[in-house]
Amino acid sequence: MPATIEMQNLTVQLGSRIILNQLNGALSGRCIGLLGPNGSGKSTLINTLLGFYEPVAGAARIFGKEVKSNLRELRAAIGYMPESDAFIADMTGVRFVRYMAELSGLPRGEAMERAHEAFFYVGLGEARYRKLGTYSLGMKQLAKLAQAIAHGPKLVLLDEPTNGLDPEARVRMLQLVREIRDTGEVSVLISSHLLRDIEECCDQVLILKDGRIAALCNLEEERKANLKFLELEVTQGNGFLESVRGLGCECASFGAGRVRIVLPDNIDLRQIYRTAAEHEVQIRRMNYRRDTLEDIFLKAMAGTPQVASVQQGSANGSL
Amino acid sequence: MAVYKRTYKAYHGRLTPAWSRFTVLTRYGLSTLFSSRPFTAYTVLCFMPFLVGLAYIYIVHNAAAQAVLGVGKTIPGTVNNVWFLSFLGFEAGMGFILAAWGGPGMITKDFANHSVQLYLSRPISRTEYLLGKVSVLAALLSCTTWIPALLLFFVKAELQGHGWLWENLWMAGSILVGCLIWIAMISLVSMAVAVWVKWRIAATALMLGIFFLLPALGQVLDLILRTQWGSLINITHMMSIVWAHLFRLKAIERQSSGFDVVPLWAAWASLLSMCAACFWLLDRKLRAREVERS
Repeated sequence: MPATIEMQNLTVQLGSRIILNQLNGALSGRCIGLLGPNGSGKSTLINTLLGFYEPVAGAARIFGKEVKSNLRELRAAIGYMPESDAFIADMTGVRFVRYMAELSGLPRGEAMERAHEAFFYVGLGEARYRKLGTYSLGMKQLAKLAQAIAHGPKLVLLDEPTNGLDPEARVRMLQLVREIRDTGEVSVLISSHLLRDIEECCDQVLILKDGRIAALCNLEEERKANLKFLELEVTQGNGFLESVRGLGCECASFGAGRVRIVLPDNIDLRQIYRTAAEHEVQIRRMNYRRDTLEDIFLKAMAGTPQVASVQQGSANGSL
Repeated sequence: MAVYKRTYKAYHGRLTPAWSRFTVLTRYGLSTLFSSRPFTAYTVLCFMPFLVGLAYIYIVHNAAAQAVLGVGKTIPGTVNNVWFLSFLGFEAGMGFILAAWGGPGMITKDFANHSVQLYLSRPISRTEYLLGKVSVLAALLSCTTWIPALLLFFVKAELQGHGWLWENLWMAGSILVGCLIWIAMISLVSMAVAVWVKWRIAATALMLGIFFLLPALGQVLDLILRTQWGSLINITHMMSIVWAHLFRLKAIERQSSGFDVVPLWAAWASLLSMCAACFWLLDRKLRAREVERS
């Protein structure tokens, strides 16, 4: 089965600036997160996948089909929720969604039925006959989601779906995204600045930095990984870290006695205590800790972006 | 995604043919325009010249009606190429107001709230988007120009006798070609200014400016440079010159109406240049995302 999205040396240039620089990778998660600071190329990547921008080199594929040569077919299979406001102010919500569904190829009757269903699904059923211009920001976001899913796409591209939402609306939006993902009938790509949004929904994450891939990791595997991350606060002791490394652990010191250790499967915690005792090191504090998406993101931002290779499993034990 | 279940469900039903998608834009465009009562009222008003023309042709060919009205043989004019040209000129003027009123708003509304990206993320191209929008104006203007003109032509042919039809069949072609050129021109200008300024009121004002201020500018140029080539920027006049030739106006008639200030080829070149400029503007500005070039 082909990956949802594949990139082969994908390079996009706007004006004289290279925005995406030789991206390589395959995204096959059910829900893919797209992370990166402002100007890293997230929206450009989405626009390229929609065919709005043409690559100057390389290619992007969706469901194994090249975007450039299968644009019409792929657009019919994609639902897009843009970051900015995108609606027709003097149209009622349900008419707008019906209109968009008809443009995607649904016959009139079906489009009308699906528009109503989509509005009820996103929780705007009661407001569906109101003009879009009168909607609040949160309602507009939900209306945008409704138009993105009304025609039953196989891939939904959500550009900053929680932008401007209050906490309650944000939870509702993420709940909807998870529900859509869990149906198993549609893949979702979310671009967001908010790490928590991505962490709550996604099973794979692509981190961009300066138009290059900084990290591509499978959060699902990360969650399943059997590695134990240990954070210690210890008194200074000569040779303690070297001895721990000698046991086969990866470890790093962050100063002021703070130490981070990755325990392989075959190492028991008792051995750490024993080593500490041998070096007369006092363990003042000990936490089990796994790498959060924030750690992965910060590491990706600190490191040099990969040009042509994908940093698979960057969180798997490297500190 | 049933309402009562409130769960997402993919769509596996039938789809409409890809070629017909632009008609969705046309249908919604017409529906939006006619949701305005003043616009609907004006569109109805645009049919009045047709009804007046129909009544005129009937009276001209019906002695009983002439007697009832007491006009007898004093009824002025004959229904010939000049009559049809005048009729179309009047209808074209009304059609222009129709296009200036309804045309720019169709596009500017899409730009006002960035919905163009939503259209273009669907399986329709920029050309189809434009075709869908232009079809709205084309349908409206067709209903108020060449369709009523051809109806009048055939009514005249029927009342006059078949010999008239074959002798004047070229006029049917002139009506059709002349109107299609006008519709294409007016639609393109309407769309191009809307895409360019992205604000309905400004777009309508600009369109009026193109059709009313440019001729004035042309006349100023003519006076300053002591030439007649300033008329080239007068679209309406250039169209009139083309129409005058299409309707086979005699040289003296063209001269008296000022339809020979520039040669026919120059009028065509002017109109084609305007069309090319509109296409260029549309190609440059009608995009889902605009790229700021640095």
